[in-house]
Amino acid sequence: MSNRQLPLALRFPQGARFDRYVADGNEATLAALRAFAAKPAPPGVLLAGASGTGKTHLVMAVAGAASGYALLPLAELGDRVESAIAATRASALVLIDDIDAIAGRHAAEVAMFDLFNRTRDAGGALLISAPGAVPRLALGLPDLASRLASLSLLQLQPLGDDARRRVIHERGAARGMDVGDDVLDFLFRRYPRDLGALLDLLDRLDRETLVRQRRLTVQLVRDVIRNEGE
Amino acid sequence: MQSLWERLLERLESEYEEQDILTWLKPLQVTGRDGRLSLLAPNAFVLDVVRERFLTRIEAVARHLAGNDVQVGLEVGSSPRAADQQRGAAASPGTPSLPFDPEFESNLDAHYTFENFVEGKSNELGRAAAYQVALNPGRRESNPLLLYGGTGLGKTHLMYAAGNLMRRNNPGFRVLYQRSEQFVSAMIRALQTKTIDEFKNRYRSVDALLIDDIQFFANKDRTQEEFFHTFNALFESNQQIILTCDRYPKEVENLEPRLTSRLGWGLPVAIEPPDFETRAAILLRKAELKGIVLPEEVAFMIARRMRSHVRDLEGALNTLAARAHFTGRAITTEFAQEALRDLLTVQERTLSIPNIQRVTADYYQLRVSDLLGKRRTRQLARARQTAMALTKELTSHSLPEIGDAFGGRDHTTVLHACRLITELRETDGKTREDWDKLIRALTG
Repeated sequence: MSNRQLPLALRFPQGARFDRYVADGNEATLAALRAFAAKPAPPGVLLAGASGTGKTHLVMAVAGAASGYALLPLAELGDRVESAIAATRASALVLIDDIDAIAGRHAAEVAMFDLFNRTRDAGGALLISAPGAVPRLALGLPDLASRLASLSLLQLQPLGDDARRRVIHERGAARGMDVGDDVLDFLFRRYPRDLGALLDLLDRLDRETLVRQRRLTVQLVRDVIRNEGE
Repeated sequence: MQSLWERLLERLESEYEEQDILTWLKPLQVTGRDGRLSLLAPNAFVLDVVRERFLTRIEAVARHLAGNDVQVGLEVGSSPRAADQQRGAAASPGTPSLPFDPEFESNLDAHYTFENFVEGKSNELGRAAAYQVALNPGRRESNPLLLYGGTGLGKTHLMYAAGNLMRRNNPGFRVLYQRSEQFVSAMIRALQTKTIDEFKNRYRSVDALLIDDIQFFANKDRTQEEFFHTFNALFESNQQIILTCDRYPKEVENLEPRLTSRLGWGLPVAIEPPDFETRAAILLRKAELKGIVLPEEVAFMIARRMRSHVRDLEGALNTLAARAHFTGRAITTEFAQEALRDLLTVQERTLSIPNIQRVTADYYQLRVSDLLGKRRTRQLARARQTAMALTKELTSHSLPEIGDAFGGRDHTTVLHACRLITELRETDGKTREDWDKLIRALTG
């Protein structure tokens, strides 16, 4: 952990814009976030959704549409997370990705509590992403939990099968890969629910196709998964 | 230089991950002229990362775009225009300047008054105490005023309201409000810049000092020591002190005994979680203030099913308003149940009868089967009565239902338990303490 380069940011796709988000059932949430990006209203928003529902994509989309903000991708900051939070000044818009990354880490939670208060004092708004509503977050500091509970809760529902296939296909296309139906079928059998894990895998497959100079086939996917298992 | 930076960013966007661009590069501000590109990082942390990972490349691209003479500088700061936009943020505490800078007065949030505080059984004592103190600050018998209780119950609101009223009655009155973290960082800064004497003077020359959430002083020995002396100085000269804490100070671990004992000198008042009527009233009041059309039956439904603290209610209201706005639907009971599903189910699970029984049994170090059984030792009976009263307080189950769930007891037994516990909470410190802790454990 300590020598980790900062931040890894491997899984983040280029071009995270609102119009590239596959809403499919999350239209109201998307509309609310667009409005928030245009005019961040205090106290702000808690964006909750399971892994692979596109929270990071949307946080980045808000950053891309906003001017004058601070962005803290907590899961990427490793053991520097506490000093990063403490160093962040209150501003009109503070974006926090993956609040669960600090759940149970007392010093970091206290620093986040302080950042929340400073932002509110300055009349700013927060957008915080989380895997679920506040009671599910296992936060150790009740003061922080109760501050988060005062935010508007926007929930992302998991995408349906068709939409998830479309996401994978589009992500592949953005990286110059043609993800065929046979590969999609195989991937969804292997990872039936977790779109986040699937997107991670797709990024690794992208590298493998480049390294091996091969097209993306079911056989290649099998090879990659087997090699990783070793 | 602005346009050079924009072209530069565009180039870098094709070279780095978008998250890197958005996290580290886009928040930089640009100033400079005459062949110098000055980048301003919002804080030292961003500065380090940019220098470590991007600066070499930024310099190379800048030379490519603007010629070899261009110089790139990187420092912490913000351009005047942006600083204007966030003037509020600049009013950070502890700027060691004397006499008082006018900024400190802005620490009191004028929105919070006694008029817009929703009063109920759970907080009427706290309200009355804060009001009296605001009318007659500095009296021995109510100095310090200590408001304690769980988070999100309105302690800070009362503290602000008292401060605002003191200033309204006497505009020259110097009221300083600070969160405990602000006090800590002001002290650390004073130590670093060797201005501890100014720090002391600053805090000792106020007419009223309001410090929020003093539980965060735990483990900070030097802060406690400094605060202790400040406290004594203010107390001796009859300046009012108002404090809040998330529990009775003696329960806070790692607070110095000589400090906690002093905090108990004045007027300690507990703020309890709001009861059903107060929760409903808070919802309706806040909806009215925000211009949200909230039918009474929806307010009652939320008040019945969300029982922890006021911020939860506020969040629920914000959530409903946002969702109604973006779906174009009216706020009905059905709509609210759907929009708040996640919040409501979690609350309901912790407030089921089996869970109340389990938590109560754990607290008294008993088995659940003891609570439900026939044995009637004094200790067992008290625990059982407490659990039944908690169930009545926290759920909407009827007395006969509660009796059934506690080993088939009669509803009059439940009624007796509720009355007894209510009475003991007034007269017996231990019962009161047990009750508060259990309520906190179940609704926290």
